[in-house]
Amino acid sequence: MLKLTEIDTFYGDLQALWGISLEVREGEMVSLIGPNGAGKTTTLQSITGLLRPAKGSITFDGHDLLKVPPDKIVDLGVSMVMEGGRVFAGMTVLENLELGAYGSRARKERFETMEHVFKTFPRLKERLNQRAGTLSGGERQMLAIGRAMMSKPKLLMLDEPSFGLAPILVDAIFEMVKGINKQGVTILLVEQNVRAALELADRAYVIENGRIVGEGSGEALLSYESVRSAYLG
Amino acid sequence: MKKNLSFVIALVVTAALAAVPLFVKKDSLLTYLCMILLYVSLASSWNILGGYTGQVNLGHSAFFGLGAIATRLLWFAGWNILLAMLVGGLLAIAFALLIGSPAFKLRGAYFTIGTLALGQILYATVGNLFPQISSMPVQDLISYTLVTRYYLFLAVALITVLAATLVANSRWGLGMMAVREQEDAAESLGVNAFQHKLLALVLSAFLAGLAGGAFAFFQIGYYPQYPFSPIWTLDSTMMAYIGGTGTILGPIIGAIFFVVLKEVLSLNLAEFHPTVFGILFILVVLFLPGGFMGLWKRIKDKQQKKRESMAELSHP
Amino acid sequence: MLQPLAQNIIYGILIGALYGLAAVGLSLVFGVSKFLNVSHGELLMLGGYASFWVFKLLKIDPFLSIPLTIIFLLLIGFIFYRLIFSRLIKLEVEKKIQNSLLVGFGLSTILQNVALRLWTADDRSITTAYSGLSFELAGLRLPAVRLISLAISVVALISLQIFLKKTFTGKAIRATVEDWQSASLMGINIHRVYLLAFVIGCALAGVAGTLVSICYSIDPSMGLNWTLKSMVVMVLGGLGSMIGTFVGGIILGVTESATAFFIGGNYRLIAGLLLFLIILIFRPQGLFGTKEGDR
Repeated sequence: MLKLTEIDTFYGDLQALWGISLEVREGEMVSLIGPNGAGKTTTLQSITGLLRPAKGSITFDGHDLLKVPPDKIVDLGVSMVMEGGRVFAGMTVLENLELGAYGSRARKERFETMEHVFKTFPRLKERLNQRAGTLSGGERQMLAIGRAMMSKPKLLMLDEPSFGLAPILVDAIFEMVKGINKQGVTILLVEQNVRAALELADRAYVIENGRIVGEGSGEALLSYESVRSAYLG
Repeated sequence: MKKNLSFVIALVVTAALAAVPLFVKKDSLLTYLCMILLYVSLASSWNILGGYTGQVNLGHSAFFGLGAIATRLLWFAGWNILLAMLVGGLLAIAFALLIGSPAFKLRGAYFTIGTLALGQILYATVGNLFPQISSMPVQDLISYTLVTRYYLFLAVALITVLAATLVANSRWGLGMMAVREQEDAAESLGVNAFQHKLLALVLSAFLAGLAGGAFAFFQIGYYPQYPFSPIWTLDSTMMAYIGGTGTILGPIIGAIFFVVLKEVLSLNLAEFHPTVFGILFILVVLFLPGGFMGLWKRIKDKQQKKRESMAELSHP
Repeated sequence: MLQPLAQNIIYGILIGALYGLAAVGLSLVFGVSKFLNVSHGELLMLGGYASFWVFKLLKIDPFLSIPLTIIFLLLIGFIFYRLIFSRLIKLEVEKKIQNSLLVGFGLSTILQNVALRLWTADDRSITTAYSGLSFELAGLRLPAVRLISLAISVVALISLQIFLKKTFTGKAIRATVEDWQSASLMGINIHRVYLLAFVIGCALAGVAGTLVSICYSIDPSMGLNWTLKSMVVMVLGGLGSMIGTFVGGIILGVTESATAFFIGGNYRLIAGLLLFLIILIFRPQGLFGTKEGDR
C-alpha cells in the first residue's frame, strides 16, 4: 500500500534521512521506533509532503506521492496526526473536525463521518462548541485523531500519540488506535513508548541516525536482544 | 599584497578626487559630484548598522536631519562651520544614545518598523516646530563657493568610508557581523550584542550627522524638515542594498550607480527615476541578496573554479 | 469647552472606523502569511484614485463605485502577489517579515512615483452633491458622508467576520493563521490561502481608500502615514480579531482628535506614532506573535 524506496531527506543543508526504505501493507499496523532525533518524524513528514525527499521514491496505492502536491495527498487517503496533536486551539472542536474533512472527497460525507468519529470519541460530541484550546491533553489528542479520521483515511499515521499523557490515558488512546485499525484503517505509528508500540504492531522498523537498522514482527523485535537493551532497559 | 594594492588604489582615487576642482570648472558637474559624495556618506554610514550589524534602520534620516539642523543654526549664529558640524554629529550621537536601549529591545523587523516610526515622529515634529524655510543669509551667499562645499563633502565621505573600513576590520566589526548572523550564538560566544549594536548605531548616527552638516552648509534654501524626510532613509537603504550590504565598496557603488542612473534617465525618463530604482531594489532583495558586490563575488568564484579545474587538467 | 471637545471626539470616532478598515487588511495578510506589506498605504491610495477618476470621468457616485474599486484592487493584489510576494513564501518567518517589508518599500516608492507623475501632487477629494450635508444631534454635527462611511466600514468588517467564521474557505484561512503545517495536513492549499488573504487585504485597503477620498482627501504621498496608522491599529487591536481591530481604530482616531484638541492639529500623527512605539517597546512579542488560543 505504502512503499518508501531509498529516500534521502534534508533539513536545509543537513541530511536527516539516509536511504530509508520501508513498506506498509493494507490493513497492517506498523510501528516505527527509535531514539529521539533518529528521523521518525522526518520520515512521516516526507510522506505527507511537508518535507520533500531529495532522492528516492514514495508510492501509495500506485500513486507517486512525490508528484502529488501536499494538499492533494490527503485526498488520496493519507492522514497524519502530528506530535502533540496540534489542534487549532482558537477554533471550536466542531470547526477542527470540519477542517479535517476539508478535502473534496471527504467533504461530501462529513456529517456521516462525524457521527462515526463520535462513536469512537464520544467525549468530542460533548465538547463540540468549546474552543480546542480549552480541552485537556487527552481530549486534544482525541480531537487530533478524530480530525484526522474526518478525512476518511486509508492510511493513518500517528506521531507520538502518547506523548505527555497520563499512563491511564495512554492505554485508552492505544485502545482507540487499535479499534481504528480493526475498522480497516492501516496504521503507521511512531512511538517512544517502545514496549506498547511493539506489542500493538504487526510489524515494526527500528530507525537510528536516519537509517533503518532493524525490521521484524513486533513480537520478534520485543525479544531481540539489542532492542531490549537499547529501548526496554 | 592585496591589502597594499587596495590601499594604493584608495590613495590614487582620493588624490584624483582632491584634484578634481583644479580641472573641473563647470558648476553642474561639481554639484553632481557633491551629490555622489553625499550619498556615499549616507549609504556607507547606514551600512555600518544596517549592513555589518544587520539592524535594518529605517530612521536614518533622523540623524542626517539632526546634524543638518544643528549645524545650520550654529553656523548662521556665527560659529565656525567645522565646529558646528561636530556639534551636529554629537547631537546625532546624543539622540542615538537616547533611543538605543529601547530600540534594541526590538529585534529584526520590529526594530525596523520601530525606527521607521521614530523617523516619522522627528520628521513631523521638526515640521511643526520650524515651519519656515531656512535661507542662507546674504553675506554667506556672497561668499558662497562650490569648491569649498565639494571639499567638505569629500572630507565627510572619506571619513565615513575610512571609519567603516577600520571598524569592519576590527574585533568590534567581527562582533557586529556575529550579531548579524546569529545574535544568540554571538552572545553565547561572549559577544555583548547590545554593546555592539549600540556602537554601530552611534557611529552610524555620528557619520550621518556630519553628512547632514555638510548638507546644511551646501544647500542654499530648504525647509528644516526636508533632511528628516523618509526619502533620505529609503535612498540610503536602497543604495546599500543594490551595491551590496555589509561590504565597504557596496554602498559606494550603489551611490554612484544611483546618481549616474538618475542622470542617464534624465534624457527621457527622468521623472520615473524612483520607479526604476524601486524595481531594481525589489529585484535585488528577491534574487540577488548580495547586490552588485555579491554578483561580482559569484562571477569571480566561478572563474576561480574554472581556472582551478583547467590547472588540474594541464597538470595531471 | 465641552461641546467642541465632544464634537472632536465624534470626528475621532468617525475617522477611527476608517483606520480600523485600513488596518484589517494589513492584519489579515500579516496573520496568514507573515508578510508585512508596507505598501499597504499605497494600495489605499490607489483605491482612492480609482474612485476619484471614476467619479470625475464617468460621473459614477463614489459609494456606488466601491465594487469597481474592489475588483481593481483584487487585480492589482493578484499581480503584486504573483510577481513579488509569492517569491518570499519559502523563507523562514523572521526573514520573511524583513524581506516583505523591504520589497514593500520598493513597491511603495514605485507606486508613489507613478501616482505623482500620472496624477500630480495635488490633493484630491470627491465632492458630490450631498457632500455638504450633515445631521445635527444635541448640537453636534454629523456629516452625512462620514456617517455613510462609518456604516460601510462596519458592514465590510462584519462581512469579513462572517466569511472567516462561517465558510469553509474562511475557516481554512483561520486555520492557516494558527498553524500552517497542520492546515497543510488537512489538505488546505497554503499558497492559495496566502494569495486569497493577500488580495482580500488589498481589496479592503481599496475600499478604505475610496472612503478616504470621499470624506477627506488623497495625494500621492499619503501612503506611508496610512501604513503606519494601520500598523498602530494592528498593534492596538491584536492579531486576528476583527472587533479588536475596529476598536483599535477608534482608539487611534480618538487619541488623534484629543491630541488635536488639546495640543494642536499638527501633532495628531505624532501622538499615534508615540502610542505605537510605547506599545512596541513594552509588549514586543505580544503584538504580532500571540496565537488566539493561547490566551
